[in-house]
Amino acid sequence: MYTNPKPCKHLADYKLRHGLSGYNLLQEQIRTTPSGKSSVKNHQTEIPRCCFCNGYQKRLYLCLICSSISCSSHTLLHSQCENGHDIAVDIERSELYCVLCCDQVYDPDFDKIVMLKHLMDLPRSGNGVDVSAGRRSSKRRRLCSALELDLKKTKQLVSMRDLRAKSCYPLGLRGLNNLGSTCFMNSVLQALLHAPPFRNYFLTGQRNHEVCRKRSSDRLCLLCDIYVFFSAVFSGDRTPYSPAQLLYSWWQHSANLASYEQQDAHEFFISVLDGIHENGVKARNTGECHCVAHRVFSGQLRSDVTCMSCGYTSTTYDPFMDISLNLDTGNCPSTDLANKSLKPSDNTYVSTLLGCLDLFTKPEKLGSDQKFFCENCQERQDSVKQMSIKRLPLVLCLHIKRFEHFPVRRMSRKIDRYMQFPFCLDMNPYLSSSVVRNRFGNRMFAFEGDELDTSTEFEIFAVVTHSGTLDSGHYVTYLHLKDQWYKCDDAWITAVEEEVVRASQCYMLFYAQKMLYYKANEDLVCQPVSPRADPFLPIAGCC
Amino acid sequence: MIESGEKEKLMELLRERLVECGWKDEMKALCRAYIKKKGTNNVTVDDLVHVITPKGRASIPDSIKTELLLRIRAFLASAAL
Repeated sequence: MYTNPKPCKHLADYKLRHGLSGYNLLQEQIRTTPSGKSSVKNHQTEIPRCCFCNGYQKRLYLCLICSSISCSSHTLLHSQCENGHDIAVDIERSELYCVLCCDQVYDPDFDKIVMLKHLMDLPRSGNGVDVSAGRRSSKRRRLCSALELDLKKTKQLVSMRDLRAKSCYPLGLRGLNNLGSTCFMNSVLQALLHAPPFRNYFLTGQRNHEVCRKRSSDRLCLLCDIYVFFSAVFSGDRTPYSPAQLLYSWWQHSANLASYEQQDAHEFFISVLDGIHENGVKARNTGECHCVAHRVFSGQLRSDVTCMSCGYTSTTYDPFMDISLNLDTGNCPSTDLANKSLKPSDNTYVSTLLGCLDLFTKPEKLGSDQKFFCENCQERQDSVKQMSIKRLPLVLCLHIKRFEHFPVRRMSRKIDRYMQFPFCLDMNPYLSSSVVRNRFGNRMFAFEGDELDTSTEFEIFAVVTHSGTLDSGHYVTYLHLKDQWYKCDDAWITAVEEEVVRASQCYMLFYAQKMLYYKANEDLVCQPVSPRADPFLPIAGCC
Repeated sequence: MIESGEKEKLMELLRERLVECGWKDEMKALCRAYIKKKGTNNVTVDDLVHVITPKGRASIPDSIKTELLLRIRAFLASAAL
């Protein structure tokens, strides 16, 4: 989060004596390139030079009081000659510099003035930035509704069922029988069972299946079947459950995927959410859908396409239920680094989730065959595209694209590359407010997109992993409940150490907003019968 | 060369190339390591510039140097006409 740093004594003094007058005078001279770099261009034809040494090759600083230019070696000299001339501006970067502190300093008033000039100069669009007071979005409402899907009722249910629980394991842990290559379904279901707001919705009877119209007319209702499924899993009965009804119900919805062949877990996930959406509350015409699938998983992506000639940016927003990420491989498109230790064949680079997210939000030059029609230039131009997250969901599902398809060669393959992922994830750097702010360098000021009271911290609660090849593979889910990891391999559930999870090959990662995760875990009451005694005691009936 | 604006264009191109090949990220990492070592409150921009500059200059890939040199020569040649 951006908190304004305290100004140094010299900047504070300067502000007291001169206020904004120096900044305002400077504003006229600021020019910004299409790529977002702001510089002070006083003399159009003359080259700026240091007034002491006449040099022009070092960093040059413009005194805010007398406008004399000094290079980095002579700024101190200038300040000694003229009393009080302590604050200057880096000409090339439009950044404040305190001569006596020998360091960059920050002033939101200054940055605002630079940004304003930049925006004024931009062709029509504000480059996606609206410096006027941000509107309070419906994020407040969303958070409240998240808390509504909350646990008061669950607390009561849990304390009753406690008595029936055979072991000290948390509630909602139950093996799922494989009904014929259905591990893709079982793995996703385990994750859904423990997505806090999703779980609460189905357990607190918000889905009233008694009066479901479809059921009463003897038709299948996916939502009702999910409700029944949740009740069965959280009933306290530990014997493996067969989700046959749910499978059948899902087949009805996604006829094209109905078979006993192995399916893709991610496809199943999207399809189930889609089924819930269709079967649920009809979306209102104005804006967001309020079905449980959307309330829990949906967020909003922002896409900015910037013309490389004039800087005009076109911004679009699209909803998402999950984010599919390409693996970051650390390969640079062009030349290798001169660093001798890194040979082209030496691929010791480890992919990480943060690396993938960086890749996702990195500015991407669109190919010459994808030239974007710029409204301002009125012709097709080379452009740069950048993605960012405008609004985060309550539960974030990240899908790692491990299956590569080559339509030309009619071939598909799986990417087995290991990817490291964190248990705690801060999504702040990938928000639109952070990404767009970064385009303008080191600026400090409140931003239209700044969701100041939304938390960006997430905790992992489920990992769906895949092992094997594209055609014959197996899905396993790891669940993180009450500080313990459990491996859910169809009907077999075992407690495992976190190292096992860290070393696994993740395919889908499920993160919940930290606050929701911790609240949810408080209520998974578990009788503390020597919790660490049998770390590998299976819950399933057999073995 | 500065007056014609060519220098500015070449600087833009250089920045682009340095980002593409990961040089900028490398420098960023070096800065972070230095700041971590010294402590966030004990580092100034000037410090960083002095420490990073020699390393930065040394690690620029040859291909980028070559490309820029070629362009500068080409410009000078065309400007002399």
